[in-house]
Amino acid sequence: MTLAVRPRAPGRGVALALRYGPLLVAATAFTLPLFWVVVTSLKKQSEYNASPVVIVPPSPQWVNYELAVELADFARFAFNSIVLSSTYAVLVVLTSALVGFGFARHRAPGRDRLFAVVLATLMVPSLVQFVPQFVLFARLGLTNTYWPWVLWGLGGSPFAIFLFRQFFSSFPRELDDAAEVDGAGPLRIFSRIYLPNSGPAIAATAIFMFLWVWGDYLYPTLLLGVNNTTLAVRMANAYVDPRGNPLQTVTMAGVVLYVLPLVAFFAFAQRFIVRGIVTTGIKG
Amino acid sequence: MTAATGALPRAAPLSALWRRRGVRKAATFYLLISPWILGFVFLSAIPLALAFLMSFTNYDGLNLDYVRLVGLDNYTRAFTDADAQHALGRTLVLMVAVVPTGLVVQLALALMLNQPIRLSPLFRTIFYLPYVIPVVAGAWVWKLFTDPTGGLLNALLGLITPDANIRWLVEYPTVVLALFTIWAGAGGGMVVFLAGLQGIPAEYREAAMIDGASGAQVTRYITLPLLTPVIFFNLVIGIIAALQILVQPMLLAPGIVGLGPGTVPPSDNYLYVVHGYITIFVHQLFGYGSALLWLLFLVVVALTFVLFKTSRRWVFYGVEP
Repeated sequence: MTLAVRPRAPGRGVALALRYGPLLVAATAFTLPLFWVVVTSLKKQSEYNASPVVIVPPSPQWVNYELAVELADFARFAFNSIVLSSTYAVLVVLTSALVGFGFARHRAPGRDRLFAVVLATLMVPSLVQFVPQFVLFARLGLTNTYWPWVLWGLGGSPFAIFLFRQFFSSFPRELDDAAEVDGAGPLRIFSRIYLPNSGPAIAATAIFMFLWVWGDYLYPTLLLGVNNTTLAVRMANAYVDPRGNPLQTVTMAGVVLYVLPLVAFFAFAQRFIVRGIVTTGIKG
Repeated sequence: MTAATGALPRAAPLSALWRRRGVRKAATFYLLISPWILGFVFLSAIPLALAFLMSFTNYDGLNLDYVRLVGLDNYTRAFTDADAQHALGRTLVLMVAVVPTGLVVQLALALMLNQPIRLSPLFRTIFYLPYVIPVVAGAWVWKLFTDPTGGLLNALLGLITPDANIRWLVEYPTVVLALFTIWAGAGGGMVVFLAGLQGIPAEYREAAMIDGASGAQVTRYITLPLLTPVIFFNLVIGIIAALQILVQPMLLAPGIVGLGPGTVPPSDNYLYVVHGYITIFVHQLFGYGSALLWLLFLVVVALTFVLFKTSRRWVFYGVEP
């Protein structure tokens, strides 16, 4: 009966298998390493390298999560990370948007060459710039403080400037003209017309910039001390027992806690972010 | 000059200048971009120049009293330093292993997600997730996954061969590093490819379908050529990123406790920037290290230039709107 209604059912089945088969294989491959972190975070330490391998822990050890919070002083370092990441993200989005607005909407001799310089700085290996910066920060007494991130934020990010410039270029110029006739200056046009109409672009850029600091390991290692450093540095080797043996299961609980807010956030914001990237126009 | 400004002769030139539309527009532009200009001068240009100067000295990062010029010594040393050559070789090996495979994975994921699919936001999140996972967490993920006894990889291999007891990070560190890099980078490239795919007008594909082209033919002869600008973009980004990999091999160094900062990665994962980092921050050779990094900078610029030159032969810029 069903065959009579859908005579091409077998062909459709093949098409579906072709469409979803590789997708499921890829999704499994991408998720397995993460799945294993979650599984391990719920094991007893004795189950960690049991043979045969424990796939489903018989009694999930939620206590690992409590230990992960306690042993690493998780809240304090999470707070450091949040302060540092949001400071940088807010500053860099504001300055980069302003600069992007300048490049998109204001003509001046040398503009296109300067924009080429913005893009060229993307090519400079970050460590080449960082080493002398490190020497300067040390001489100025700025190591062990959050000032370097403030300065980096105030200087804008070439990547974000590029995104905002592309994004603002698609705004109708009539808006500027109308506002100018009404007597608005460039800063007013920027803050009253451009910023309020850039929700997705601002959100996407801010998320990326926040994430960059949240995840960065190198700069806090080199610039900050054991007390004011970020969660990223802390997570690298926070979990050992009093004899110095690694506590792998607690470590994995810590990793889950470190990543989970980002996962939740991205699951919620991903459509937004993809739209932000599409509308900012990286189309090659 | 004019009667109105005659009362205030000294203010005249400035205000007259300001009244000229072109000058005012230029001043506005430069004021708007002034944060970037200051940032560029103080955080990029001056540091780069200092690094260049440093590369001709014996600077140790601490004491300015003993600094002296050593001419081209640091550069001649870079070309005879066996560690630097080894590191460069390993970097090229990793680049060749990671960049083409990474591009294929990113493109394949984007093509799969560009079909009408149920739960596509879920799949997109799954592939994008590793890209937003911080590097320290990613290093833990792969350290655990490839752990000889507690890891899933050996357990899965154990289903095929009875005694799978491979110490991945010791025996095949570059394989783990490559998998980590491809896994972590896939989502970023995929999103850019998706944006590119969505920019291809559906009519092109439909027209080809009506003319009897199969799905594979449409991909090969319509989609891929129109996507070459995006492929090129991701290729350039991928190569520049691969040349600069530093933190991942350091963190994956098989230390006893935690991830391995301060531990030197195994010889196979001893990459060029790792060598630069260790030269500077461990051996305190700021002068020599700066020379190494400046050479890398020149290589990156040269490679980008060559890529742009060759792009004329294969990148299709036919349909600029």
